[in-house]
Amino acid sequence: MTIFIRFIIVSIALMFFGFFYFYINEDKYYPGADFTTSDMPNFEIKDLYSERIFNVKDLEGSYLINVWASWCITCRIEHSFLSKLESKNIPIIGLNYKDEEEDAISWITRFGDPYKYIIHDYKGNLALDLGVTGAPETFLLNDGKIIVHYRGEVNDMIWNDVFKPIIKRENLFNVN
Amino acid sequence: MLIKVFLFFSIIFSSFTLGKSLYDFESVEDEKRFYSLIKEIRCPKCTSGSLASSNAPVSEDIKLKIIDLIKEGKSDQEIKEFLSDRFGNQILYNPGLSKDTYLLWLAPGFFLMIILLIFFFRKRT
Repeated sequence: MTIFIRFIIVSIALMFFGFFYFYINEDKYYPGADFTTSDMPNFEIKDLYSERIFNVKDLEGSYLINVWASWCITCRIEHSFLSKLESKNIPIIGLNYKDEEEDAISWITRFGDPYKYIIHDYKGNLALDLGVTGAPETFLLNDGKIIVHYRGEVNDMIWNDVFKPIIKRENLFNVN
Repeated sequence: MLIKVFLFFSIIFSSFTLGKSLYDFESVEDEKRFYSLIKEIRCPKCTSGSLASSNAPVSEDIKLKIIDLIKEGKSDQEIKEFLSDRFGNQILYNPGLSKDTYLLWLAPGFFLMIILLIFFFRKRT
């Protein structure tokens, strides 16, 4: 009977090792990435530069939505990468999050505008509906559905490991 | 006379007359529901802390949203679903049994069974 008990004790230890081995070694695991598909919530939000009102119907097709703000330090780090994406003809919509209009405009004139257009979510209503917890966050949108939600800075590594596989699978933006 | 004037202004500018609660509720019931809900919902920006413990901007937004939802007559369950749809299951401190959480719920029972088995066989020897 002691053999049985020893066997159980050893197997519990092995299970623990196995569990942690597989969970820690699960490579390319990004805690900020969420791949659940959800509908883009409806919204009516003003353009940052003009009085034009955008709604969900303006988002037909495939886009990246990037949540940013002038008070957000990481957004500045992310900015050069977004410019790179823009130069590859990837349409990015800026969602200016809880920011003063003047601050946002002066930030964007200073660092450059990689966005197709920018919507000004001053109160953060759309952001709350999207499950935004802060800035920067990036969404991949395809035909009114959110297919990737990434919380945090997008850079080369994140782009290649998180976004690109999905973009290739869905055949968007002619990315290769 | 001066003391009377002083007392008069003290009362006018006291916290009883100027005080206002941070959040507006339609009833005491709603207020109770709100305060119990924010203890059960995690602040999405914190490592581990409830909404009640957090002043992060997103927590404040969620709290105001919860108040709106309560006013709209949504049940606690509906409010939790609304938030977990947007922020993921990890926003709830008490996640239901699902395919992602079965390990979490069943593992303690499993280990208890193993321990009981060991205990049972030891007694015999």
